[in-house]
Order: sequence, then structure tokens, then C-alpha cells
Amino acid sequence: MSGRLIVASSIAEARAAREAGAAYIAGGSWVMRAPVRGETVSGDHVALTRVGELSRIDISGDRLTIGAAVTHDAIAGTLAGMPEFGGLAAAAGKSANPAIRRVATLGGNLCTIGFAAADLVPALLALDAEVTFVATNGLQQMPVERFLAQRHALLPDALVTAVHLRRAPRLSGHARLPMRKAGGDYPVAIVSVSLGSGNGERHVRLAVGSVEPTARRWTCLEAALDALSVLSPEAGAEAARAFLGDFAPRNGIEAPGWYRVEVLPVLVRRALALAMPGEESD
Amino acid sequence: MAIVFRLNGEAYRHEGDPMAPLVDVLRRGAGLTGTKAVCREGFCGACMVHVDGVPKLACLMPVGLAGGCAITTIEGLGGAMQRLGERFPDALRQAFIDEDVVQCGMCFPGMVMSLGAWLAEHPRAGRAEIKEAILGNACRCSGYERIVDAVMLCLRRMGG
Repeated sequence: MSGRLIVASSIAEARAAREAGAAYIAGGSWVMRAPVRGETVSGDHVALTRVGELSRIDISGDRLTIGAAVTHDAIAGTLAGMPEFGGLAAAAGKSANPAIRRVATLGGNLCTIGFAAADLVPALLALDAEVTFVATNGLQQMPVERFLAQRHALLPDALVTAVHLRRAPRLSGHARLPMRKAGGDYPVAIVSVSLGSGNGERHVRLAVGSVEPTARRWTCLEAALDALSVLSPEAGAEAARAFLGDFAPRNGIEAPGWYRVEVLPVLVRRALALAMPGEESD
Repeated sequence: MAIVFRLNGEAYRHEGDPMAPLVDVLRRGAGLTGTKAVCREGFCGACMVHVDGVPKLACLMPVGLAGGCAITTIEGLGGAMQRLGERFPDALRQAFIDEDVVQCGMCFPGMVMSLGAWLAEHPRAGRAEIKEAILGNACRCSGYERIVDAVMLCLRRMGG
């Protein structure tokens, strides 16, 4: 590794360094592992962790805003006891291991294109999060789903500043399958779910991470779960089995693609059980 | 540009690559080999140090981000904790010795750095919580139960 490390104290300073060719670095938990992945890291970097504007969590009556440089540990601590964000709190509080959670950031999870197993991304998809970023043409905001679809094109210019979540009466859950309990391996598959209602109807949002290269909503299953007369964890798992062909899974050293898909019904059941009060989770 | 930080209570100056992992600077530059470089990807915890009192993985921290911080390694932990009036790390080290925990010794400094800070905030922890706290501290000799025994002994001695 070589080059300068500029420690930015403002978004403007970070943007200026980026325009001069520096790459953004947040917690460093991905870029510092580059040599282990056989990748070379060179050139200048600009650190974002000391930009105060990116490190805040604001909770108002109708909205939650989380700065891009907020760590998983801080997210889990702040959202503990807020059932509407239980899925996101669990995603942040169970990712990797305690030491990684103290450095890994929200923005890092959203912007690391090669990281399929980022826990926060499916949780944000299930909660209909919006992403704010600064680019040459100013401040922009878009749904996280659209951001993920466009991030290849956006990220050379954009600096993600925050994520916004609407506060609403809903419940959410997050289930992940690591290969072993210890160590903090990347999960084989992740399911995040949120359960809301309106106009007498159920609204299920369900997102899957780590199965395909980028996390995404499982919309055909969402529609099936919305249509169930009674939703239970078991009924959710049964419905999921009918839509496993919806995925083009990735093969990896820790698990083949078919296995990532096969475990999804179990994870759907667990995520629903965690979201639904009174249901037994395992 | 030089990076200056406090290392075990003394000023330390690094003149090289700011993106170098802190663990390499500690081991090769400062000669503090108690901090181990093992997996280099944040999974094993053998490189745990305290950055401004918070346990952090030195393999994932570019030394450039240590500028202005107080870094404590296993070598300086006793002194740092004594200054803070904190007795857990010493008690923990003694419990590791008394329970004959240390086998190859690679994980021991990282375990103490992780748990020493954690125990002060969780003086009534049970075995399950202790196991949760050492996720990310891998013992390659697989001596986890004995490590947990030692932590429980430490807590009993400290009146937890």
C-alpha cells in the first residue's frame, strides 16, 4: 500500500480530495483486507470517519436518519428497543464480530460493490430506506433499491452521506446463516423482513442478501405473503419454497450457489418469527 | 507526512506509508510483538489493541488513522489500566495463568485486550455473554471452555 491518507473533517474536504483522485475509505474493514484477497491498493485515500456530519444519528417523530460513517455498533446500540427497526438493529448487532462492528460503517456496506454479504443492505431494503448522496450536480436522494441498481455508475462521483427511514408502526426481523458461530464469517444467506399494514391490508417487505452478488427484494414472495389469509413463520417458509427459482445464486468458497438458495425458506421462517411477537424463533 | 500518536503512554512518530496496517507498525516499527498478525482480515482478534480505550483490530486500521490517538498494546495495558484505576486486565491475566489457559499463546494478548475492556462494563456476565464477547477472538488450539472458565474465575475474584 502506498500514497497519502487524507483525514477529512468535512464533506467538502472529502469531495475535494476525491476530485483530486483519492479513494474514499470509511471503517477500512474492506480495503485493508485487499492484500488477503490478492488485490493491490495504491494511490491516495481520503478517510471519512472524522467527518462529523456523516457520523450522526437523528431520530425525529417521523424519521430516522443515519449518517454514512455511523458504525454497526452505534446503529445497534441506538436502535435497541425500537421494534420498528428491530431488523436493522439485529443486522447491525449480529454482523461479523464485535471488533468489526466497531469500525464497519453503514456507508461501507452500501458502497462496497464486491461485498455481497453486507448485512445492513437487505435490512435497509426491507425498511424502504432512502439514500442521500452528494454528487457534482448536488444533493440527491433515492430509494436504496434504485441506488443499488445504479451504484456502479454513481459511485465514481457520489459520496453517500446518510440513509433515511420512515418511522411507522411495523415490525421487522433479520436472519442470517454463517457457516459457524465463532469468528464472524460472512453469512451464506441473509433474509430481512418488515411487516406493516395500511387500509386493512398487510404489507410485507422481504429482502435477501448474500445469495446473489447484490442484495435485493424478493418481490414475488412479498406478494404471496401479502395474499395469505394468515401469515405465520411456517406459512412464510412454505410459500418461499415455491419461489426458489427466482434466484441466480453466486458460488463461493464458503458455499455453493444452490445451498444459499436451499436455506432461504428456513431463514424466511426465522426472520418472520423474529419480527412477529409471540412467535418462537430458533 | 509524519503520523504522531501516543503509544503505551509515550509519543511515537511514524514516517512511512499511512495506509500501512497499524499492526505492522507496532510489530516492525515499535518492536511490540505482543500484538499478533495472524489472519489480517479481522476474523481472529489476535491483533487487538486499544485505540483511545476502545478495542480495535490493528490489522484493519491504517496507521494514518491513529494520528493523535492513544494506542495501548498488551505490553502497555497494565500501566494504562493502572492509571485509570482499572483492575480487570491484571486480574484476567492472573486468571488465565491460574486456569492454565494459554496453550500456543497466539490468541492470549488479543483475548485479554478484548475482554479486559469488556469485563469492566459487564462485571456480572455469564458464560453465554462471555462467548458472545469473544466472537472474533479465535483460539486456534480450541481452548474456549477453559478461557471462559478463566473469565468466570476472574469475575468471581472481582466480586461480580
